[in-house]
Amino acid sequence: AVKFVTNTTKESKRNLMVRCNEQEVFTSLSAARSLLLQKQHRPLLLVEDSALEDFTGIDTSEPNAVVIGLAPDHFNYQMLNKAFRLILSGAPLIAIHKARYYKRMDGLALGPGPFVTGLEYATDCKATVVGKPENTFFLQALSDLGCRPDEAIMIGDDARDDVGGAQNTGMLGILVRTGKYREGDENKINPPPHLTCDSFPDAVEHILKNLL
Amino acid sequence: MADMDWPGCAKSLKGVILDMCGVLYDSGEGDGVAIQGSVEAVKKLQTSDLQLRFCTNETQANREKFVAKLGRLGFDISVPEVFSPAPAAVAVLKERGLRPHLLVYDGLLPEFDTVDKTNPNCVVIGDAADKFSYENLNEAFRVLLGLEKPVLLSLGQGRYYKETDGLKLDVGVYMKALEYACDLKAEVIGKPSPMFFQSVLDDMGLQPHEVLMIGDDLVSDVGGAQNCGMKGVQVRTGKYRPSDEGHATVTADGTVDNLAQAVDLILNQRN
Repeated sequence: AVKFVTNTTKESKRNLMVRCNEQEVFTSLSAARSLLLQKQHRPLLLVEDSALEDFTGIDTSEPNAVVIGLAPDHFNYQMLNKAFRLILSGAPLIAIHKARYYKRMDGLALGPGPFVTGLEYATDCKATVVGKPENTFFLQALSDLGCRPDEAIMIGDDARDDVGGAQNTGMLGILVRTGKYREGDENKINPPPHLTCDSFPDAVEHILKNLL
Repeated sequence: MADMDWPGCAKSLKGVILDMCGVLYDSGEGDGVAIQGSVEAVKKLQTSDLQLRFCTNETQANREKFVAKLGRLGFDISVPEVFSPAPAAVAVLKERGLRPHLLVYDGLLPEFDTVDKTNPNCVVIGDAADKFSYENLNEAFRVLLGLEKPVLLSLGQGRYYKETDGLKLDVGVYMKALEYACDLKAEVIGKPSPMFFQSVLDDMGLQPHEVLMIGDDLVSDVGGAQNCGMKGVQVRTGKYRPSDEGHATVTADGTVDNLAQAVDLILNQRN
Protein backbone atom coordinates (compact mmCIF):
# COMPACT_ATOMS: atom_id res chain seq x y z
CA ALA A 1 0.00 0.00 0.00
CA VAL A 2 1.20 3.52 -0.71
CA LYS A 3 0.48 6.81 0.94
CA PHE A 4 1.72 10.09 -0.47
CA VAL A 5 2.58 12.43 2.33
CA THR A 6 3.54 16.00 1.87
CA ASN A 7 4.22 19.10 3.83
CA THR A 8 3.26 21.17 0.86
CA THR A 9 1.21 24.09 1.93
CA LYS A 10 1.19 25.92 -1.35
CA GLU A 11 -1.42 23.73 -2.95
CA SER A 12 -4.69 22.25 -1.89
CA LYS A 13 -5.20 18.50 -1.85
CA ARG A 14 -7.26 18.76 -5.02
CA ASN A 15 -4.36 20.27 -6.97
CA LEU A 16 -2.10 17.43 -5.89
CA MET A 17 -4.42 14.65 -6.94
CA VAL A 18 -3.04 14.42 -10.44
CA ARG A 19 -2.60 10.69 -10.69
CA CYS A 20 -3.58 9.44 -7.31
CA ASN A 21 -6.88 9.52 -5.57
CA GLU A 22 -7.84 11.54 -2.55
CA GLN A 23 -7.44 8.73 -0.03
CA GLU A 24 -3.81 8.29 -1.04
CA VAL A 25 -2.79 11.82 -0.24
CA PHE A 26 -2.19 13.03 3.28
CA THR A 27 -1.06 16.59 3.64
CA SER A 28 0.06 18.67 6.54
CA LEU A 29 -2.83 20.98 5.64
CA SER A 30 -5.23 18.16 6.50
CA ALA A 31 -3.41 17.73 9.79
CA ALA A 32 -3.73 21.47 10.48
CA ARG A 33 -7.42 21.53 9.63
CA SER A 34 -8.06 18.66 12.06
CA LEU A 35 -6.29 20.51 14.83
CA LEU A 36 -8.17 23.74 14.20
CA LEU A 37 -11.52 21.97 14.27
CA GLN A 38 -10.58 20.01 17.36
CA LYS A 39 -9.61 23.12 19.31
CA GLN A 40 -12.21 25.37 17.71
CA HIS A 41 -9.61 28.00 16.85
CA ARG A 42 -10.33 30.92 14.51
CA PRO A 43 -7.09 31.22 12.58
CA LEU A 44 -5.14 34.04 10.98
CA LEU A 45 -4.03 31.98 7.99
CA LEU A 46 -0.56 32.72 6.64
CA VAL A 47 -1.14 30.24 3.87
CA GLU A 48 -0.91 30.62 0.10
CA ASP A 49 -4.21 31.43 -1.61
CA SER A 50 -3.95 28.21 -3.56
CA ALA A 51 -4.08 26.21 -0.32
CA LEU A 52 -6.94 28.12 1.27
CA GLU A 53 -9.60 25.76 -0.03
CA ASP A 54 -8.39 23.11 2.41
CA PHE A 55 -9.63 25.42 5.15
CA THR A 56 -13.10 26.12 3.81
CA GLY A 57 -15.75 26.12 6.46
CA ILE A 58 -13.38 27.32 9.16
CA ASP A 59 -14.29 30.63 10.75
CA THR A 60 -11.50 33.16 10.30
CA SER A 61 -13.21 36.20 11.75
CA GLU A 62 -11.57 37.81 14.81
CA PRO A 63 -8.66 35.37 14.76
CA ASN A 64 -7.47 33.82 18.02
CA ALA A 65 -4.81 31.57 16.54
CA VAL A 66 -2.04 31.92 13.98
CA VAL A 67 -1.42 29.24 11.34
CA ILE A 68 1.76 29.43 9.30
CA GLY A 69 2.42 27.45 6.15
CA LEU A 70 4.68 28.10 3.19
CA ALA A 71 3.40 31.52 2.23
CA PRO A 72 6.06 33.78 0.72
CA ASP A 73 3.38 36.32 -0.17
CA HIS A 74 2.55 36.70 3.51
CA PHE A 75 6.08 36.66 4.90
CA ASN A 76 6.39 40.42 4.71
CA TYR A 77 7.02 42.73 7.64
CA GLN A 78 3.42 43.94 8.03
CA MET A 79 1.87 40.48 8.09
CA LEU A 80 4.47 39.04 10.44
CA ASN A 81 3.94 41.98 12.81
CA LYS A 82 0.21 41.24 12.75
CA ALA A 83 0.86 37.59 13.60
CA PHE A 84 3.35 38.63 16.29
CA ARG A 85 0.87 40.91 18.03
CA LEU A 86 -1.84 38.23 17.98
CA ILE A 87 0.50 35.69 19.55
CA LEU A 88 1.59 38.20 22.20
CA SER A 89 -2.06 38.62 23.13
CA GLY A 90 -2.38 34.87 23.71
CA ALA A 91 -3.10 33.30 20.30
CA PRO A 92 -1.41 29.89 19.85
CA LEU A 93 1.09 29.57 17.03
CA ILE A 94 0.51 26.57 14.78
CA ALA A 95 3.15 25.68 12.22
CA ILE A 96 2.07 23.45 9.40
CA HIS A 97 5.71 22.46 9.23
CA LYS A 98 9.11 24.01 9.88
CA ALA A 99 11.00 23.30 6.67
CA ARG A 100 14.10 25.47 6.49
CA TYR A 101 13.94 25.87 2.73
CA TYR A 102 12.48 24.39 -0.43
CA LYS A 103 13.47 24.18 -4.07
CA ARG A 104 12.10 26.86 -6.33
CA MET A 105 12.71 27.16 -10.09
CA ASP A 106 15.45 29.73 -9.45
CA GLY A 107 17.16 27.98 -6.55
CA LEU A 108 16.57 27.35 -2.87
CA ALA A 109 14.13 29.60 -1.05
CA LEU A 110 13.22 30.12 2.61
CA GLY A 111 10.52 27.82 3.97
CA PRO A 112 8.18 28.61 6.85
CA GLY A 113 10.58 27.22 9.46
CA PRO A 114 12.75 30.35 9.73
CA PHE A 115 9.70 32.59 10.18
CA VAL A 116 8.13 30.30 12.77
CA THR A 117 11.44 30.23 14.64
CA GLY A 118 11.63 34.02 14.49
CA LEU A 119 8.12 34.39 15.91
CA GLU A 120 8.87 31.85 18.65
CA TYR A 121 11.85 34.00 19.63
CA ALA A 122 9.86 37.23 19.44
CA THR A 123 7.04 35.94 21.65
CA ASP A 124 8.92 33.45 23.81
CA CYS A 125 6.38 30.77 22.81
CA LYS A 126 6.73 27.37 21.19
CA ALA A 127 4.81 26.58 18.04
CA THR A 128 2.73 23.43 17.69
CA VAL A 129 4.03 21.71 14.56
CA VAL A 130 1.54 19.51 12.75
CA GLY A 131 3.47 18.34 9.70
CA LYS A 132 6.69 16.41 9.13
CA PRO A 133 8.86 15.58 10.97
CA GLU A 134 6.37 15.27 13.85
CA ASN A 135 5.62 11.68 14.88
CA THR A 136 1.90 12.35 15.00
CA PHE A 137 1.89 13.25 11.31
CA PHE A 138 3.50 9.97 10.22
CA LEU A 139 1.44 7.88 12.63
CA GLN A 140 -1.77 9.41 11.33
CA ALA A 141 -0.78 8.62 7.74
CA LEU A 142 0.17 5.05 8.71
CA SER A 143 -3.05 4.43 10.58
CA ASP A 144 -4.90 5.33 7.38
CA LEU A 145 -2.85 2.62 5.68
CA GLY A 146 -3.42 0.19 8.51
CA CYS A 147 0.22 -0.68 9.04
CA ARG A 148 2.80 -0.28 11.78
CA PRO A 149 5.87 1.96 11.49
CA ASP A 150 8.17 -1.05 11.34
CA GLU A 151 6.24 -2.26 8.30
CA ALA A 152 6.69 1.00 6.44
CA ILE A 153 9.31 2.94 4.51
CA MET A 154 9.47 6.66 3.70
CA ILE A 155 11.09 8.13 0.59
CA GLY A 156 11.94 11.83 0.63
CA ASP A 157 14.38 14.59 -0.38
CA ASP A 158 14.58 16.29 3.01
CA ALA A 159 17.02 14.46 5.26
CA ARG A 160 15.74 15.90 8.49
CA ASP A 161 12.04 16.27 7.91
CA ASP A 162 11.29 13.28 5.67
CA VAL A 163 13.87 10.63 6.49
CA GLY A 164 14.80 11.69 10.02
CA GLY A 165 11.19 12.18 11.01
CA ALA A 166 10.12 8.82 9.57
CA GLN A 167 12.99 6.91 11.16
CA ASN A 168 12.22 8.59 14.46
CA THR A 169 8.74 7.14 14.24
CA GLY A 170 10.16 3.65 13.70
CA MET A 171 10.00 3.52 9.91
CA LEU A 172 12.85 3.04 7.45
CA GLY A 173 13.88 6.07 5.43
CA ILE A 174 15.35 6.49 1.95
CA LEU A 175 16.89 9.81 0.99
CA VAL A 176 16.81 10.76 -2.70
CA ARG A 177 19.33 13.10 -4.29
CA THR A 178 16.73 15.20 -6.06
CA GLY A 179 14.63 18.20 -5.11
CA LYS A 180 16.13 20.15 -2.23
CA TYR A 181 18.83 17.57 -1.51
CA ARG A 182 22.34 19.02 -1.01
CA GLU A 183 25.65 17.20 -0.94
CA GLY A 184 26.29 15.81 2.54
CA ASP A 185 22.70 15.92 3.79
CA GLU A 186 22.86 12.19 4.60
CA ASN A 187 25.45 12.96 7.27
CA LYS A 188 23.23 15.44 9.02
CA ILE A 189 20.87 12.97 10.66
CA ASN A 190 21.46 10.31 13.24
CA PRO A 191 20.91 7.48 12.54
CA PRO A 192 21.75 8.06 8.87
CA PRO A 193 19.24 7.14 6.17
CA HIS A 194 18.72 3.43 5.61
CA LEU A 195 19.70 4.25 2.03
CA THR A 196 20.65 7.29 -0.01
CA CYS A 197 20.05 6.94 -3.73
CA ASP A 198 19.91 9.06 -6.83
CA SER A 199 16.18 9.24 -7.40
CA PHE A 200 12.73 7.95 -6.63
CA PRO A 201 12.80 5.14 -9.30
CA ASP A 202 16.09 3.89 -7.79
CA ALA A 203 14.48 3.87 -4.37
CA VAL A 204 11.55 1.84 -5.65
CA GLU A 205 13.94 -0.59 -7.36
CA HIS A 206 15.75 -1.07 -4.08
CA ILE A 207 12.55 -1.73 -2.19
CA LEU A 208 11.26 -4.23 -4.72
CA LYS A 209 14.58 -6.04 -4.85
CA ASN A 210 15.61 -6.03 -1.20
CA LEU A 211 12.84 -5.20 1.18
CA LEU A 212 9.81 -7.21 0.18
CA MET B 1 25.48 46.45 52.30
CA ALA B 2 22.40 48.56 51.66
CA ASP B 3 24.48 51.04 49.65
CA MET B 4 25.28 48.38 47.07
CA ASP B 5 21.61 48.14 46.16
CA TRP B 6 19.53 50.55 44.13
CA PRO B 7 19.06 53.38 44.72
CA GLY B 8 21.76 53.56 47.41
CA CYS B 9 24.41 52.51 44.92
CA ALA B 10 23.89 55.83 43.14
CA LYS B 11 26.06 57.50 45.82
CA SER B 12 29.22 55.88 44.50
CA LEU B 13 28.47 56.06 40.79
CA LYS B 14 30.80 57.85 38.40
CA GLY B 15 28.92 57.32 35.16
CA VAL B 16 25.53 56.56 33.62
CA ILE B 17 24.77 54.92 30.30
CA LEU B 18 21.36 55.55 28.82
CA ASP B 19 19.55 53.42 26.29
CA MET B 20 17.76 55.72 23.90
CA CYS B 21 14.66 54.31 22.19
CA GLY B 22 12.07 53.64 24.88
CA VAL B 23 13.93 55.75 27.44
CA LEU B 24 14.39 59.13 25.78
CA TYR B 25 11.73 58.77 23.10
CA ASP B 26 9.33 56.38 21.40
CA SER B 27 9.77 55.95 17.66
CA GLY B 28 6.87 56.33 15.32
CA GLU B 29 5.79 58.53 12.50
CA GLY B 30 8.30 61.19 11.60
CA ASP B 31 10.71 61.78 14.44
CA GLY B 32 8.63 59.95 17.03
CA VAL B 33 7.77 61.45 20.40
CA ALA B 34 9.96 62.42 23.37
CA ILE B 35 8.97 60.55 26.52
CA GLN B 36 7.59 62.85 29.16
CA GLY B 37 10.28 64.21 31.47
CA SER B 38 13.18 62.71 29.53
CA VAL B 39 14.52 65.92 27.97
CA GLU B 40 14.72 67.52 31.43
CA ALA B 41 16.20 64.35 32.95
CA VAL B 42 19.04 64.26 30.41
CA LYS B 43 19.80 67.94 31.07
CA LYS B 44 20.03 67.23 34.82
CA LEU B 45 22.47 64.38 34.20
CA GLN B 46 24.53 66.53 31.85
CA THR B 47 24.92 69.26 34.49
CA SER B 48 25.76 66.75 37.24
CA ASP B 49 29.24 65.42 37.95
CA LEU B 50 28.39 62.07 36.38
CA GLN B 51 29.87 60.99 33.07
CA LEU B 52 27.15 60.30 30.54
CA ARG B 53 27.03 58.16 27.41
CA PHE B 54 24.23 56.94 25.18
CA CYS B 55 24.04 53.38 23.99
CA THR B 56 21.63 52.37 21.31
CA ASN B 57 20.93 49.42 19.06
CA GLU B 58 19.16 51.86 16.77
CA THR B 59 20.06 50.88 13.23
CA GLN B 60 17.55 52.64 11.05
CA ALA B 61 19.69 55.76 10.68
CA ASN B 62 23.35 56.66 10.85
CA ARG B 63 24.51 58.55 13.94
CA GLU B 64 24.46 62.00 12.37
CA LYS B 65 20.84 61.67 11.27
CA PHE B 66 19.92 60.06 14.56
CA VAL B 67 21.46 62.80 16.67
CA ALA B 68 19.79 65.46 14.48
CA LYS B 69 16.43 63.82 15.13
CA LEU B 70 17.06 63.81 18.86
CA GLY B 71 17.90 67.51 18.56
CA ARG B 72 14.52 68.13 17.00
CA LEU B 73 12.89 66.29 19.91
CA GLY B 74 14.61 68.64 22.35
CA PHE B 75 17.70 66.66 23.37
CA ASP B 76 21.17 68.20 23.24
CA ILE B 77 23.37 65.20 22.41
CA SER B 78 26.48 64.96 20.25
CA VAL B 79 27.69 62.12 18.02
CA PRO B 80 30.77 61.17 20.11
CA GLU B 81 28.49 60.50 23.11
CA VAL B 82 26.46 57.96 21.14
CA PHE B 83 27.49 54.32 20.79
CA SER B 84 25.67 52.29 18.19
CA PRO B 85 26.32 48.95 16.50
CA ALA B 86 27.04 50.15 12.96
CA PRO B 87 30.43 51.80 13.63
CA ALA B 88 31.37 48.83 15.81
CA ALA B 89 30.42 46.52 12.94
CA VAL B 90 32.46 48.52 10.45
CA ALA B 91 35.51 48.11 12.68
CA VAL B 92 34.94 44.35 12.86
CA LEU B 93 34.48 44.05 9.09
CA LYS B 94 37.71 45.89 8.37
CA GLU B 95 39.66 44.02 11.02
CA ARG B 96 38.62 40.63 9.63
CA GLY B 97 38.66 41.40 5.92
CA LEU B 98 34.91 40.87 5.66
CA ARG B 99 32.96 42.25 2.70
CA PRO B 100 29.29 42.47 3.62
CA HIS B 101 26.02 41.83 1.86
CA LEU B 102 23.92 44.39 3.74
CA LEU B 103 20.32 43.88 4.79
CA VAL B 104 19.83 47.15 6.66
CA TYR B 105 17.52 50.13 6.58
CA ASP B 106 18.45 52.62 3.83
CA GLY B 107 19.12 55.34 6.41
CA LEU B 108 22.00 53.27 7.83
CA LEU B 109 23.84 52.70 4.55
CA PRO B 110 26.10 55.78 4.88
CA GLU B 111 27.76 54.16 7.94
CA PHE B 112 29.12 51.53 5.52
CA ASP B 113 30.38 53.92 2.83
CA THR B 114 34.03 53.14 3.52
CA VAL B 115 33.51 49.38 3.47
CA ASP B 116 34.24 47.20 0.45
CA LYS B 117 30.95 45.57 -0.48
CA THR B 118 32.01 43.78 -3.65
CA ASN B 119 31.92 39.99 -3.81
CA PRO B 120 30.40 39.62 -0.33
CA ASN B 121 31.78 37.02 2.07
CA CYS B 122 29.39 37.74 4.92
CA VAL B 123 25.93 39.11 5.66
CA VAL B 124 25.16 42.03 7.99
CA ILE B 125 21.59 42.50 9.18
CA GLY B 126 20.20 45.47 11.05
CA ASP B 127 16.72 46.65 11.95
CA ALA B 128 15.52 46.80 8.38
CA ALA B 129 11.78 47.03 9.13
CA ASP B 130 9.90 47.08 5.81
CA LYS B 131 13.03 45.98 4.01
CA PHE B 132 12.63 42.61 5.70
CA SER B 133 10.71 41.43 2.67
CA TYR B 134 10.69 37.77 1.72
CA GLU B 135 12.85 38.40 -1.34
CA ASN B 136 15.44 40.45 0.56
CA LEU B 137 15.69 37.76 3.23
CA ASN B 138 15.97 35.11 0.55
CA GLU B 139 18.83 37.00 -1.04
CA ALA B 140 20.69 37.15 2.30
CA PHE B 141 19.94 33.46 2.84
CA ARG B 142 21.39 32.57 -0.57
CA VAL B 143 24.55 34.59 0.03
CA LEU B 144 25.13 32.66 3.26
CA LEU B 145 24.39 29.29 1.67
CA GLY B 146 26.91 30.01 -1.05
CA LEU B 147 29.78 30.70 1.36
CA GLU B 148 32.19 28.05 2.50
CA LYS B 149 32.51 29.79 5.85
CA PRO B 150 29.27 31.72 6.27
CA VAL B 151 29.40 34.67 8.69
CA LEU B 152 26.26 36.45 9.84
CA LEU B 153 26.70 39.68 11.81
CA SER B 154 23.59 40.93 13.53
CA LEU B 155 23.40 44.53 14.71
CA GLY B 156 21.72 43.71 17.99
CA GLN B 157 19.42 40.81 18.78
CA GLY B 158 16.30 42.57 20.04
CA ARG B 159 12.97 40.79 19.82
CA TYR B 160 10.78 43.82 19.37
CA TYR B 161 10.60 47.53 20.02
CA LYS B 162 7.83 49.98 20.62
CA GLU B 163 6.61 52.44 18.07
CA THR B 164 3.76 54.86 18.62
CA ASP B 165 1.38 52.47 16.86
CA GLY B 166 2.40 49.34 18.73
CA LEU B 167 5.14 46.76 19.08
CA LYS B 168 7.19 45.82 16.03
CA LEU B 169 9.55 42.94 15.26
CA ASP B 170 13.23 43.73 15.71
CA VAL B 171 16.41 42.45 14.06
CA GLY B 172 16.81 39.50 16.49
CA VAL B 173 13.77 37.80 14.98
CA TYR B 174 15.31 37.80 11.53
CA MET B 175 18.69 36.84 12.93
CA LYS B 176 17.05 33.72 14.43
CA ALA B 177 15.26 33.06 11.14
CA LEU B 178 18.52 33.06 9.17
CA GLU B 179 20.32 31.06 11.88
CA TYR B 180 17.65 28.39 11.58
CA ALA B 181 17.58 28.44 7.79
CA CYS B 182 21.36 28.17 7.43
CA ASP B 183 22.12 26.17 10.56
CA LEU B 184 24.65 28.68 11.82
CA LYS B 185 25.09 31.06 14.78
CA ALA B 186 25.14 34.78 14.21
CA GLU B 187 27.59 37.11 15.91
CA VAL B 188 25.83 39.93 17.70
CA ILE B 189 27.31 43.40 17.50
CA GLY B 190 25.76 45.89 19.86
CA LYS B 191 23.87 45.28 23.10
CA PRO B 192 24.04 42.91 24.90
CA SER B 193 27.48 41.91 23.60
CA PRO B 194 30.03 42.48 26.40
CA MET B 195 32.52 43.84 23.87
CA PHE B 196 30.08 46.56 22.99
CA PHE B 197 29.51 47.65 26.58
CA GLN B 198 33.24 47.49 27.23
CA SER B 199 33.91 49.91 24.37
CA VAL B 200 31.64 52.42 26.09
CA LEU B 201 33.31 51.88 29.48
CA ASP B 202 36.73 52.28 27.85
CA ASP B 203 35.64 55.56 26.34
CA MET B 204 34.47 56.76 29.79
CA GLY B 205 37.64 55.46 31.45
CA LEU B 206 35.52 53.83 34.15
CA GLN B 207 35.20 50.42 35.78
CA PRO B 208 31.90 48.54 35.44
CA HIS B 209 30.99 48.85 39.11
CA GLU B 210 31.17 52.64 38.79
CA VAL B 211 28.53 52.76 36.06
CA LEU B 212 24.74 52.36 35.93
CA MET B 213 22.80 51.41 32.78
CA ILE B 214 19.20 52.53 32.34
CA GLY B 215 17.07 50.88 29.64
CA ASP B 216 13.66 49.53 28.64
CA ASP B 217 14.84 46.16 27.34
CA LEU B 218 15.26 43.87 30.33
CA VAL B 219 17.48 41.33 28.62
CA SER B 220 19.57 43.46 26.27
CA ASP B 221 19.96 46.62 28.34
CA VAL B 222 19.70 45.51 31.96
CA GLY B 223 20.86 41.91 31.61
CA GLY B 224 23.61 42.88 29.21
CA ALA B 225 24.91 45.56 31.55
CA GLN B 226 24.75 43.30 34.63
CA ASN B 227 26.67 40.67 32.69
CA CYS B 228 29.54 43.15 32.47
CA GLY B 229 29.47 44.05 36.15
CA MET B 230 27.37 47.21 35.92
CA LYS B 231 24.11 47.85 37.72
CA GLY B 232 21.01 47.88 35.50
CA VAL B 233 17.73 49.70 36.04
CA GLN B 234 14.62 49.16 33.89
CA VAL B 235 12.13 51.89 32.99
CA ARG B 236 8.45 51.17 32.57
CA THR B 237 8.34 53.02 29.25
CA GLY B 238 9.12 51.84 25.73
CA LYS B 239 8.96 48.11 25.27
CA TYR B 240 8.63 47.34 28.97
CA ARG B 241 5.91 44.79 29.78
CA PRO B 242 4.64 43.93 33.29
CA SER B 243 5.75 40.33 32.78
CA ASP B 244 9.36 41.63 32.71
CA GLU B 245 9.21 42.01 36.48
CA GLY B 246 8.91 38.27 36.93
CA HIS B 247 11.51 37.28 34.36
CA ALA B 248 13.10 33.87 34.70
CA THR B 249 16.72 34.91 34.30
CA VAL B 250 17.14 38.67 34.61
CA THR B 251 16.24 40.70 37.71
CA ALA B 252 16.74 44.43 37.35
CA ASP B 253 18.56 46.16 40.19
CA GLY B 254 15.67 48.61 40.17
CA THR B 255 12.51 49.35 38.20
CA VAL B 256 11.28 52.91 37.79
CA ASP B 257 8.38 54.52 35.99
CA ASN B 258 10.55 56.49 33.60
CA LEU B 259 13.92 58.17 33.14
CA ALA B 260 12.80 61.29 35.01
CA GLN B 261 12.11 59.24 38.13
CA ALA B 262 15.42 57.36 37.79
CA VAL B 263 17.41 60.58 37.51
CA ASP B 264 15.67 62.19 40.49
CA LEU B 265 16.39 59.11 42.60
CA ILE B 266 20.05 59.12 41.52
CA LEU B 267 20.62 62.81 42.16
CA ASN B 268 18.81 62.68 45.51
CA GLN B 269 21.26 60.01 46.67
CA ARG B 270 24.20 62.22 45.74
CA ASN B 271 23.08 65.46 47.44
